Amino acid sequence: MNVLVLLAIVLFALMAWVGGLKGVRSFIALFINFLIVLMAVFVMNDPSGNPIIIALIACGFISAVSLFFINRVNNKTMLAFLATIATTVILIFFIIILTEQSMIYGLGEEESGEITTFNVHIGLNFVQIATAVILMSTIGAIVDTAISITSPMREIYEQNPEISRKDLFLAGIRIGRDILGTSTNTLFFAFFGGYMGLLIWFKDLDYSIGDIINAKVFNDELLTIFISGVGIALVIPIAALMSAYYLKKKKKNVALEDNK
Amino acid sequence: MFSEIQIGNPIFGVITLKAWLKNRTKTQVITVCLLLIGFIASMIFINNNYELYDRTIVQITDVQEINREDQVDTHGNEDEHVTQHIVGEIKNGSGKGELTEFDNEYIQSLALDYELAAGDEIFLAQDGEATGDIKRDKYFVFVAWIFLAILLAVGKSRGALSALSLLVNAVILSIALDIYIQNPSISLSLITLGSIIIFTVLSLLMATGFNEKTYTAILTTLIATGVSLVIAYVALHFTSEQGLRYEEMAFLTRNPQTIFMAGLLIGSLGAVMDVAITLSASMFEMYEKNNHIRIETLKKAGYEVGKDIMGTMTNILFFAYVSGSIPMLLIYFKNAAPFGFTVSMNLSLELARALVGGIGIVLTIPIAVYISIFFIRRKQAKL
Repeated sequence: MNVLVLLAIVLFALMAWVGGLKGVRSFIALFINFLIVLMAVFVMNDPSGNPIIIALIACGFISAVSLFFINRVNNKTMLAFLATIATTVILIFFIIILTEQSMIYGLGEEESGEITTFNVHIGLNFVQIATAVILMSTIGAIVDTAISITSPMREIYEQNPEISRKDLFLAGIRIGRDILGTSTNTLFFAFFGGYMGLLIWFKDLDYSIGDIINAKVFNDELLTIFISGVGIALVIPIAALMSAYYLKKKKKNVALEDNK
Repeated sequence: MFSEIQIGNPIFGVITLKAWLKNRTKTQVITVCLLLIGFIASMIFINNNYELYDRTIVQITDVQEINREDQVDTHGNEDEHVTQHIVGEIKNGSGKGELTEFDNEYIQSLALDYELAAGDEIFLAQDGEATGDIKRDKYFVFVAWIFLAILLAVGKSRGALSALSLLVNAVILSIALDIYIQNPSISLSLITLGSIIIFTVLSLLMATGFNEKTYTAILTTLIATGVSLVIAYVALHFTSEQGLRYEEMAFLTRNPQTIFMAGLLIGSLGAVMDVAITLSASMFEMYEKNNHIRIETLKKAGYEVGKDIMGTMTNILFFAYVSGSIPMLLIYFKNAAPFGFTVSMNLSLELARALVGGIGIVLTIPIAVYISIFFIRRKQAKL
């Protein structure tokens, strides 16, 4: 049996056992997200399309699936969705400038060795593709942070509806501080786990610090971690601000209706 | 730097630096000053460190496109071959200050080469007649500072600790790999297990300090990682690794299987720690609020939190791994490679990493719930 199929079955069984129906939905969401990535790659195959726009649209679908399919549509998932979109749009400008300036697009020398039989001059824009890749590597972490802020903020508001908008916002920021460290940690280990081979290769070939710090693959990896961290940190105040405004505004409307 | 100030206080909108200073303590002002000095000093250094490099660095002063022609490959992919004539100033070594001229050729899709513009700094190739690589150190340092500034602005001292914890982990990883390379007799699995224990203990202590919820999280992380190691190992052997294509790691001079296993464990460690600390923190908080809370209620609440984070956490790992393969997938598809072959060549290792990470995340939930309950029961017994 294929090892991936076996691992997927184990994951599905565990998710269903621990998470019940919600676990099953989480697994299906993962599968749908995989299909969305593949779809995005297919669309990117057309040289006339813009990979950045495609990635942005894919990110919209991915966050919708992760939030609405697993947790249903309600005001906390809606707020998390809007905060994710806002953060992604702000972040994309930063990523575009950085990819162009530091020229981390395309393949590094270390990667290009394996595909000598293939033609890599395929008429696609690798600068935009690199931007799209960084954005999509980060989207999972941004969605996770967004829902981790909006969900407890609604709890806080419901337990204490008299809380001022500013205090509600600050409560959101405090929750964010707890998440910030662990989320950046998650990505840090994920990337280093994925690039263990490359790191060992650098050490085996005695790359100097100067070689490593200027290498394309290394910068690609590290800048992705840093940008993800910036994305996680950005979504915290954005999600807190949106929740604080929305929840307090809702309360005013309810108060008006009561007066009628 | 001003943006950092605004992000810290977005509710007040745009405020003047003066008003901002009024609301700060002395320590905060000093910290910001020190960071600014550090930022400026390191940026000046990194933009003038040419002499530290043996390779010749050229700063490009003038670029002229001298030729552009269309090319089509056997699969009908259209591209353009461009030649630029480059004039630049040598920044280091014996020829420092002299002007140099060479031609830079690139293919418009920029998969392997670079389109140069005036102001770019590059390393010259060995023969001095082409572009070797780009001087990227300044971008690396700049983005590292932005990362640090935003972490501090949002997270304050907690942000500083997270940044420190990342740095410490990076150093430990580097030392661990050095030990592995210099002592071929010690197996990578052993070194990985040792570093996993150090990573877990240090990161979690730095995140939440010396208390029971941290001990719970440490214990949970180690057990969950151990169990997912066993599951991954059994799954790989049971299927004799059918479906895994190690060609992707072909550049390695070492056994890719061992390195893959080590990466598998380290890769899911961060996510497992995240879930462990989230669960133990929320369960201990419930206990603090109500010391006589029933164990059944606590268990149910723990599982609810776990269900909430399970989906998005597995997503984080999934996208972190799979997105990196997109450029390679495109190259395969554009060379008319069959779909199944392309996916298995480029995604098999990534998908295995994401799946094993997901298994680790889900396993962590019941383990964290039961270990928290174990500690809380002991506390309740003492009441």
